[in-house]
Amino acid sequence: METIGKQVRLPINTAFQIAMQGIKIRLGRAVVTISGVVLGIAFLMSILTGNLITRAVAKEQEFQQKLKVMNDAVTSSVGTLQGKQVGIAILGNTNDAMQQRVEQAFLRKIAGDVASSSGAEKTVVHAYHLGSTGITIPGSTEVTDLATLGQGCDLVILLGDDKNCVTPYADLTRGMKQLAVLDTQTARTFAGKATSNTERDLFFGEAADEQRLQAMETAKSNAARTHWIVLISLLVTVIGIANALLMSVTERFKEIGTMKCLGALSGFIRQLFLIESLFIGLVGSLLGIIIGILFPAIAYTISYGMLSSNLGYGATLVFSAFDYQLVIFSLECLGAGCLLSVIAAIYPATIAARMIPAMALRSNV
Amino acid sequence: MVLAADIAQLFDVAGDNGQGDYVIRAVDVKKIYRTGDVETHALRGATLDIKRGEYLSIMGPSGSGKTTFFNMIGGLSKPTSGKVYIDQVDIAQLDPYELAWLRCRKVGYIFQAFNLIQVMSCLENITLPMAFAGVNSEDARDKAMEILKLVGLEERALHKPAEMSGGQQQRVAVARALANSPAIILADEPTANLDLHTGEEIIDLFNQLKEELGVTIITATHDLKMLKTSDRIVWIEDGLIKKVSTADELDIQVYEVH
Repeated sequence: METIGKQVRLPINTAFQIAMQGIKIRLGRAVVTISGVVLGIAFLMSILTGNLITRAVAKEQEFQQKLKVMNDAVTSSVGTLQGKQVGIAILGNTNDAMQQRVEQAFLRKIAGDVASSSGAEKTVVHAYHLGSTGITIPGSTEVTDLATLGQGCDLVILLGDDKNCVTPYADLTRGMKQLAVLDTQTARTFAGKATSNTERDLFFGEAADEQRLQAMETAKSNAARTHWIVLISLLVTVIGIANALLMSVTERFKEIGTMKCLGALSGFIRQLFLIESLFIGLVGSLLGIIIGILFPAIAYTISYGMLSSNLGYGATLVFSAFDYQLVIFSLECLGAGCLLSVIAAIYPATIAARMIPAMALRSNV
Repeated sequence: MVLAADIAQLFDVAGDNGQGDYVIRAVDVKKIYRTGDVETHALRGATLDIKRGEYLSIMGPSGSGKTTFFNMIGGLSKPTSGKVYIDQVDIAQLDPYELAWLRCRKVGYIFQAFNLIQVMSCLENITLPMAFAGVNSEDARDKAMEILKLVGLEERALHKPAEMSGGQQQRVAVARALANSPAIILADEPTANLDLHTGEEIIDLFNQLKEELGVTIITATHDLKMLKTSDRIVWIEDGLIKKVSTADELDIQVYEVH
């Protein structure tokens, strides 16, 4: 008589084969379960994608609006710049990326105005650089002394972050006729130090700040509600998978019992159902991610395209929003889908693993 | 269906311990099922010794404890009290891993409803228990083909069970039961779902296995033809073994149908 050994085999290839062929045979039910996963993950992904798009579009709109405000302020101050004398003092680099972008676009426009003007209508620009900012205005004359910058100018424009500016504002405003301050922080500081020499002060950015604050508040309350809805939809998905698997387990009691009679360990049986569930989660997540990206992309392209009567513009707006963040979101959704499917499988797989071999002899559950 | 000599070598069952040795011993086996407050005494002290290489049939009315006793001696359940020795090993002492090992290597199971895995081909059905036993896939396939030849189905190796008749499926099930060269074959009503003729084929196959491989065959059956070819017939009633007799002692009349 040979001694009794210990069964340790968990032939995972066999488990994989049985699980896959099981899905093939019950393809209809697999499709239904996968659809559940697709819906849940597509919902999550569409919200993430939608946020990505709206945030990018909002940034773009903010940029356009700020630029417009600056240009309008200049125009309402002195009308067209042609034939005027303009002084530009760049007092340092701003740290805000949006502000940088606005200032660069603004300066490019000024440079354009200088270049396009000619003869008696020539626009003269004096530029003062504090430190190096890397932005040059072609056709402008460099001024090294800030005090002389404003002399004879129709308009002086200050750009740059207040923190980087060392020179007291009182020095700057002496002898200036009109002043446009185009940075929030600088505007606030200047408001505190305004002298009587200045005839008109234009401050920008404060109203925008108010708006931004309010927008953030509403966004926060929306986000909380959205989180709740997403959580519930994913829960429903998990329940759907667990339900389908439980049905599968109860149906296959004979098969499970037989495999145990052949020497299958409980762990093997558990593996079978975990693999099946993981496959469903994987396929469902992939499809859900694709749908979750396509639907918001198409919807927003159409809506922005309609607003500007140009579908192409809408498309570029939307696709410019797609950066590496989209890949990260996709991977997160994939991970979520797979994790949820494994969680859903725990209970059914445990029930299957605990079945006794004598089940193979029964004719009903 | 001629048995290959090398197959017989894989079943070196009678080689050790000599003849007359007991492969299964049940000693005062009791089994009580408890559901809530209700206690069901399925077995009330069954005792039986089964010789190595014998062909044993178990009979009994429904509710007699026949299935429970069958489960006990097949290693499918553990007794509430009393002892069951399979190959001199007390199965109550075994942990789940050892029990799985026992079911994999020592006992081959045959079911009334064939219980083949529908999604796998015949060959894969037979190599499945070998995969559990850790046999590498090349050797498993070779041995599986040999066993299929034994039961006369080698040209059906890649067919799925759904593409085969009941008799053929049962033969595949027999082949599967032989996969790991077990000492014992446990068959639960193997001919119940088959017509007369195919049932006879299965019975002939069992006889061949017994004669040429020395496998111990234990069946639970109502089939008179099976009873006629058994060495001993055990009658269970009311949770106890009421009678053990040989086929000759019982007056079994079976009319041949041609």
